[in-house]
Amino acid sequence: MDMRPSLRVGPFEVFTPFHPTVSPLYHSNGHFPGRLFIVEGIDGSGKSTQLSLLHRWLESLGYGVVFSEWNSSPLVKDTTKLGKKKKMLTAASFSLVHATDFADRTERSILPLLKAGAIVLCDRYVYTAFARDVARGMDRDWVRDLYGFAVRPTVAFYFRVPLETAIGRLLDGRDGFKFYEAGMDLGLSDDPEESFRLFQGRILAEYEKMVGEFGLTVIDATLPIETQQSEVRAIVQVQLGNESELRFRR
Amino acid sequence: MRETYGKRLPEMRVSDLKGKLIVIEGTDGVGRTTQINLLKPWLEEMGHAVLDTGITRSVLAGEGIRRAKERNSLGRVTQTLFYATDFVDRLEKEIVPALRAGFIVLTDRYIYSLIARASVRGADPRWIRSLYSVALRPDVVFYLRLGLEQLIPRVVFSRGFDYWESGRDLFPTLDIYESFCAYQSVLLAEFDRLSSEYRFEIVDATLEENQICAELRAGIMRVLEPEQPARRDPAWPRTDWPQRTRDNFESAFRGAFSAALAHGARTERTSSLRAESSSRNGNGRAAYPK
Repeated sequence: MDMRPSLRVGPFEVFTPFHPTVSPLYHSNGHFPGRLFIVEGIDGSGKSTQLSLLHRWLESLGYGVVFSEWNSSPLVKDTTKLGKKKKMLTAASFSLVHATDFADRTERSILPLLKAGAIVLCDRYVYTAFARDVARGMDRDWVRDLYGFAVRPTVAFYFRVPLETAIGRLLDGRDGFKFYEAGMDLGLSDDPEESFRLFQGRILAEYEKMVGEFGLTVIDATLPIETQQSEVRAIVQVQLGNESELRFRR
Repeated sequence: MRETYGKRLPEMRVSDLKGKLIVIEGTDGVGRTTQINLLKPWLEEMGHAVLDTGITRSVLAGEGIRRAKERNSLGRVTQTLFYATDFVDRLEKEIVPALRAGFIVLTDRYIYSLIARASVRGADPRWIRSLYSVALRPDVVFYLRLGLEQLIPRVVFSRGFDYWESGRDLFPTLDIYESFCAYQSVLLAEFDRLSSEYRFEIVDATLEENQICAELRAGIMRVLEPEQPARRDPAWPRTDWPQRTRDNFESAFRGAFSAALAHGARTERTSSLRAESSSRNGNGRAAYPK
C-alpha cells in the first residue's frame, strides 16, 4: 500500500562510506522497529489535546514514548525566530526554514528513535508544511519533493473540524493572532482575524485534498473528546502488534 | 527572457530582470575570491553597477549556518536545507532585485557547489535538483578548475585544512590529509560531471592570476555584448539523470587509496579498506528507479 503516490523523489541515502549501507529512508518505511504516530489539523482542531492523551495512555502501558513538536529544533530555532521577528520570511524561505527544522529533528531524533524501537509522537508533520506552503503559493510538487526524506508515519491522524468551530475555540483562549500564524504575509486582509479566517480556509482545503492522497486517518473533531480518544486508541492499539520490536521503559 | 531551472517562486517576476548573472564556481582554494575582487572594480570602471554575493552571506541564515557548523553537528539533509534557505533568501532579497535594477551580479559559487557537496554525501540527484529548480539560470558559469595535486599546496600553505572542506564528516577514520585528498577528488569528479550538465565555461586555474582574470574578462565581455546570443542550458526537466554519485565515489576513493599506497602510507589498513569497498560494489548499492 503506497500512501504517497505523488512523492516521486527519493531522499538522502543513509550513507557511510566505510560501513555497510543502511537502507535508504524511502525504502525502509515500515521496516523500522519503532512506530510513528502523528496528528494533523488546523489550529483549534484539538489535535494536541488528543496527542497528549494518547501519550499518557501509551506511557501507562509502559512503552518508551518520545514526543516531537513542529518547529522545535534547537539548531534552527534562532534562524526561524529572526525571520519571524523581522518579518523577513517569504513563502519560499518560510518553507525552507521549516523544512530545515524538520530535517534536523528527523536526523537527530525521529529516525534514530524509530530504529531504536521507540514510539514517536509528532504534533504536526510534513502535511502541515504541504498545507501551509501551498496555501502561501508554493508549488505543490516542489514542496512534496522537498520533504522526500521524511519517514512515513505508521498512522497519520487528521482531526477534521469546520472552520468556524475551530476559530470559536481559538478566540476563547487568546487575545489575537501572530503575524505568520494569521497569514498576514499574504496580504489577504489587514484585519488579523479576517486574515486568519481566510488563510485557515485555504489550509483546510489543502488538508481535505491530502486525505485521499496520503491516506490520512480522519477523526471527527466535533465529537466529545473522550469519543475521539477512544477511536484514536483503538487504531493505535492495532498497530502495536508484534510488541517484541518495541522498547519498554521498564 | 531569464528562466529558472523549472519552478518559479511565488510572486517572482522574471520578465524584467535586465541585469546579468555571472557565476564563479570552483572548489576551495582555486582563487575565486581573488578574481571577484579584481573583476568588480574593472566592471565598475566600465560604468556597471555590481552586486557581489556568495554562500552563507544571507541575513536570514548566514549566522545560523556558521553557528551550526561550529558545533559539527549538522546532519546531511539538515545541512543541505540550511544552505538552500540561505540561497533562497539571497535569491529573493538580493539577486533578483539587483538584476531587476540592471546590476551585474557576481556570485562566488552558486547552486552547483551546493549540489556537488550534497551529491558526494549521497543525496539523490533528483531530490537536490528539484530543490534548486527554483534557481535562476545564470548568463554564464565560469568554473575555475584545478586538479588535486595543484590544490594541495595552495590549501596547506594558506589557511590549512578545514573540517568541512576536508570532508571530515565523510571520512572520520582517515587523517585530515588523506581525508582532504579523498574528499576533494570525489568533489572534483562531481564538478566535472556538473560541468557538462550545466555547460560551465572551464577556466584553467593553474594559470597566473592575471591570465585567469584576462580569460574571465573576455568571457564577461561576450555576455555583455548585445549582439552575441546568450548561452542556454540544456532543456529542463532532464530525462537522462546522472547516476548516483556514489558509483563514481567508490572508484574515486579507491584511486585516492592507490595514491596513498604509492606513498607507502598505512599499507595495511588501506588494503583492508580497499577490499571492503570493492566487496560492496556487487550487492551494497541501493537500487533507484530510473
